Amino acid sequence: MRNWLIGLLLVPFVFVLSCDSGNQVRVAVAGPFTGNAAAFGEMIKRGAELKAKEINEAGGIKEINENGEIRARQLTLVFGDDVGTEKEAKAVATRFATDRRILAVVGHFNSSCSLAGKSIYKENGIVELSPGSTNVDVCQGSDWTFRNLYRDDFQGAFIARYIKNILTEYKTVSVLFDNDDYGRGLKDAFTAEARRIELEVVSEKAYDRDTTDYTAQLTSINADNPDIIFVSGLYGQAALIVKQARNLGITAQFFGADGIDSPEFLKNAGAAANGTLLTTPFTFGAGGEEAAKVAEAFEAEYGVPPDTWAALTYDAMGMIAEAIEKTYNSKATLAENRKAIRDHLAGLDTPEEGYTGITGLTYFDTNGDTVNKPAYVKIVKDGNYTTAEKQMLDIASQN
Amino acid sequence: MDVFLQQLINGLVLGGIYALIAVGYTMVYGIIQLINFAHGEVFMLGAYFAFTLVAFFHLPFWVAVPISMLLCAGFGLLMDFVAYRPIRNAPRLSALITAIGVSIALQNIARIIWGAKPQPFPEETLPSFLQQVNPLEEPNIYFSFLGINFTEVAIKFPGNVSLAYLDLSIILLAVILMVGLNRIVSLTKIGKAMRACAQNRTASNLMGIKTNQVIAITFAIGSALGAIAGVMVGVREYIEPTMGYYKGVAAFAAAVLGGIGNITGAMVGGLLMGIAEVFGAGYIDPIIEFIATNVGLGEYYEAGTISNSYGSGYRVAISYIVMIIVILIRPTGLFGKSTGHRA
Repeated sequence: MRNWLIGLLLVPFVFVLSCDSGNQVRVAVAGPFTGNAAAFGEMIKRGAELKAKEINEAGGIKEINENGEIRARQLTLVFGDDVGTEKEAKAVATRFATDRRILAVVGHFNSSCSLAGKSIYKENGIVELSPGSTNVDVCQGSDWTFRNLYRDDFQGAFIARYIKNILTEYKTVSVLFDNDDYGRGLKDAFTAEARRIELEVVSEKAYDRDTTDYTAQLTSINADNPDIIFVSGLYGQAALIVKQARNLGITAQFFGADGIDSPEFLKNAGAAANGTLLTTPFTFGAGGEEAAKVAEAFEAEYGVPPDTWAALTYDAMGMIAEAIEKTYNSKATLAENRKAIRDHLAGLDTPEEGYTGITGLTYFDTNGDTVNKPAYVKIVKDGNYTTAEKQMLDIASQN
Repeated sequence: MDVFLQQLINGLVLGGIYALIAVGYTMVYGIIQLINFAHGEVFMLGAYFAFTLVAFFHLPFWVAVPISMLLCAGFGLLMDFVAYRPIRNAPRLSALITAIGVSIALQNIARIIWGAKPQPFPEETLPSFLQQVNPLEEPNIYFSFLGINFTEVAIKFPGNVSLAYLDLSIILLAVILMVGLNRIVSLTKIGKAMRACAQNRTASNLMGIKTNQVIAITFAIGSALGAIAGVMVGVREYIEPTMGYYKGVAAFAAAVLGGIGNITGAMVGGLLMGIAEVFGAGYIDPIIEFIATNVGLGEYYEAGTISNSYGSGYRVAISYIVMIIVILIRPTGLFGKSTGHRA
């Protein structure tokens, strides 16, 4: 009787185990689905979902075994909410890395989160492919971490050069930065390049992401009368910063980076957002035909147009799916399969080997960084992002 | 000097917000020695109620705000009745834990109803003088007085010091409500009952004061004031489920700084915390620079090993340091009376 009961209790476990080797492959998506950066998280989730849906509708991920039989598996996504904090990112990373069904991770978004998860993914031998972390150190020191967008040292330097070369009527800059890995890293890259090309930075001020009042920093900054205020931070705080700056009567031009590239910035800042310039790793306005098709499918599915992060996640998911399809072997152990995915991604190291997605060609250097992608400049006009008239796309001349 | 004046204004505005929230903490504490951690969430709900009334029921702003206050007052009553009254005579720690529980529950309920994303207060529904300043357009000046220009949305002092009417109304509201509240507590019958309850609840009960009713009214008034603060902050910044948490903690600290249980103390404490935070953020970096260069660390400073740009990121810490120093010197806060039985 007792044995029979125990047997009954075990049934669900046996069922779960048998599903595992069945007709699914699981890829995890980690991002800030709630919290300060939730707007990014939502787009990341949708971008990943859309790509997975397209792959599954096209028959799933195929494996050809030694007998030449084709076996298609459905791509299943597992989502993990890191809330944009290091603490939660570590918890999510541990959960994914120790889950014996998950083959690879797309994420995290926030640089702090990617950095927090990095060592956990490395120890457990699972790929972390970030579609949003731009801090310089993210891929440093781990063979398992990759990203499919530029780094902050490129972005920060790009902004300095753009101001110097294109916005020639502006002479002095002040920097207001979020005191976290992303904000600090970007600010350091910006000021280093500004010093090199002799763009005058008149002041730098930090802010903390948990505060909502920035009038003190803005007043201090404005005492130096900068032509441009560069906000090195995320959309939520940036929206309040431009709003409060206008209330204080500050007339400086605002410049932001990809951290403010979110419809939430426009919504929360209202009219104060108009005129703000920002850099972004991708803009649909400059994308090709393929990108336009994806944008259409995205809008049909979710009722809103995709943003930069949806596009980058869409591509990251595509890269992982391709890696799985090319390397997956159901006879191999989990560790071997995870390693094969990593080796495949690491092999994408030349323009010829690279992956072409809607955000353009992606290939990795020995760090796992993407160094070939340009930065685009957008401007807020009448409450919408539009591609700025003057771009600076030639990577070679940017250096 | 212009910068100093502008920072003083910034500090007063932030302090006014803290003061408006701090009153709610201090009133409840004064009567039942309960730190009502859920007060920050009432403040958040006030903003959301007004937002919903304006955005979905298309009520004018001036109608939505009083209704939101009433709703929050009712909510305060409900909170007291459901969560706190049943454990009125339980150990104080039980009530404190309950308060934290109510706070977390409300935050998550708000997240379920309105979503995790911040919502801006719809600009077009605001009265014109509360709307946003666009400094790029030359403002219409209504009239000038001693070089001070009164424009559509802000007062412009000489030297580019500006005070938006929105910010001015926060300071004015804080002062008016504080004075009014003090009048109520010291002059009316219900105020007398409140003071009696604060002194000794059992004795008040024996004297025929309906203490439960008095406590309920206290909750209602505190919550209504929290609602106004919520609306003002919602208009100035944006509305999100966690907005009550950070502001609430700072306001609670302000109440402690002023002497918890004392309404004037809450006002002064709030303003002090706001000014400390803003001046901390505004002047910590030059102070670090000054110290660094004067103790012979100038070369490290020049080399960037010591930086003058990070200090303002710790503005909140600075205001708490001020609070801790005051509490060390005066453990009962600025206006608090030292009484034996308070732990």
